[in-house]
Amino acid sequence: MSEKVAIVTGAGRGIGRAIALRLMADGYTVLGCGRNVRGPELPDAAHWVQASVAEPMGASRILAAAQALGRVTLLVNNAGVQVEKSTLDSTDEDWDLVIGANCRGVFNMCRAVLPDMERSGGVIVNIGSISATAADPSMALYNASKAFVHGLTRSIAVDHGPNVRCNAIAPGWIMTEMADDAFALAKNPQAARADALARHPVGRMGTPEDIANMVSWLASDQAAYVSGASFTVDGGMTAASPLNPGLF
Amino acid sequence: MKLQGKTAVVTGGRGGIGRAICARFLAEGARVYAADLSEGGSLDLPGGDADFIRLDVSREDEVRAAMDRVEAEAGKLDILVNAAGIEVEKTIEDTTLEEWNRSFAVNVTGTFLTSKYALPLLRKAAANGKTASLINFGSYDGFIADPGLAAYCATKGAVHALTRAMACDHGPEGIRVNAICPGYIDTPMLQSFFTGDGSGGGGKDIGALQQAVRDVHPMRSYGTPDDIANLVNWLASDEARYASGQLWVLDGGLSAQVQQMRL
Repeated sequence: MSEKVAIVTGAGRGIGRAIALRLMADGYTVLGCGRNVRGPELPDAAHWVQASVAEPMGASRILAAAQALGRVTLLVNNAGVQVEKSTLDSTDEDWDLVIGANCRGVFNMCRAVLPDMERSGGVIVNIGSISATAADPSMALYNASKAFVHGLTRSIAVDHGPNVRCNAIAPGWIMTEMADDAFALAKNPQAARADALARHPVGRMGTPEDIANMVSWLASDQAAYVSGASFTVDGGMTAASPLNPGLF
Repeated sequence: MKLQGKTAVVTGGRGGIGRAICARFLAEGARVYAADLSEGGSLDLPGGDADFIRLDVSREDEVRAAMDRVEAEAGKLDILVNAAGIEVEKTIEDTTLEEWNRSFAVNVTGTFLTSKYALPLLRKAAANGKTASLINFGSYDGFIADPGLAAYCATKGAVHALTRAMACDHGPEGIRVNAICPGYIDTPMLQSFFTGDGSGGGGKDIGALQQAVRDVHPMRSYGTPDDIANLVNWLASDEARYASGQLWVLDGGLSAQVQQMRL
């Protein structure tokens, strides 16, 4: 039985996979989960359960699988979906999908792990978004769902300390397959990439590992006094005015 | 006539935004003192005449004398608007210590001095259950940065924090303290920012530049001084009696967005 079990939701690819790999390197026994069957990208040492966090039964199945591995000391709520629509265009199905995964899923998972964590200590790291505080166009449900994540993060920190610490990360543009697809669709992919780069004071776009680094730190004792906070990891993008950097 | 019977001092009163505030206050029935270092531009405004006080807000003796005059003539002060401000369009590397100090002297120390010496007069106006209104000028640049405006961004961040501090300290005395944080407003200062040095923008097409800036705004335009005066007028009025300690961003939605990648 492991003394350090971490649950990483949405661990199959992208940011979630990077978080899973990093936590394994940090000595955690990692249970990944996702709506799909286990993909080939995760190493054998990572455990996997196929379940949807949007369903209460899914959350309890994930928790049971993690508890079978040992003491669950870390939950990383990374699973999330997006629907690229305005409020007017969003359907009831879109609502169920986005709010189901991004809000209800995070809520379900937190509620599931809290009883044990309140007793014996634990850390929750939620993946929010910079879109929680400033809107991406035509992402109405996604933007709103991420604001929920940051709000719930503060509530859990306030209600369930001192044994539980809960924080959120607000990633900016992280280069995943999702972002690659977006650039590929641009009228001029090269110009779109150059424009995006110019908006990042650090001179590059983010990588999944950049987010995993912050998860690792928040989970560690280095962050023992950190709770209820949101950390923006966006290469400085939201520190700059939204005006086109090429204008001046 | 929302401001009937009230006395107001507007620093930077001859500037783009300050002058619009003076005009609005006069139209709403207030007695208005326009304080400014500059003597350019008429203060014979549509709503009446503003009294002029020549004032360098960074000089304590001048600020004290200005408030003495207001006390002698009006006996109290209901509204102080700290609209005087300057901007240096440079990175910190290019900013001289003198430019840095001057930016803080006008934008931060000026706000401190006028507020400090206005307090006794604001207290008089706030007697008998009424409130007095002190309105500072922050900027959306106090939250997120425009390139090449380092000292300006820093001074506006300082004004934001000072606004909250003053609201906490003087709220019990009936003095409300708020800051307005404008985005892009069509003023001489903005035109200077567009052209860089006032010489036409170094070959750039200013019209195209202005249109591009409009296009980045959700409202597809930048604001006018009257847009700012509308909110200042409300904050100055009794309708805003419960509004204090806030930073009121007025930017056509500019800062509500994340960076717009042009995909």
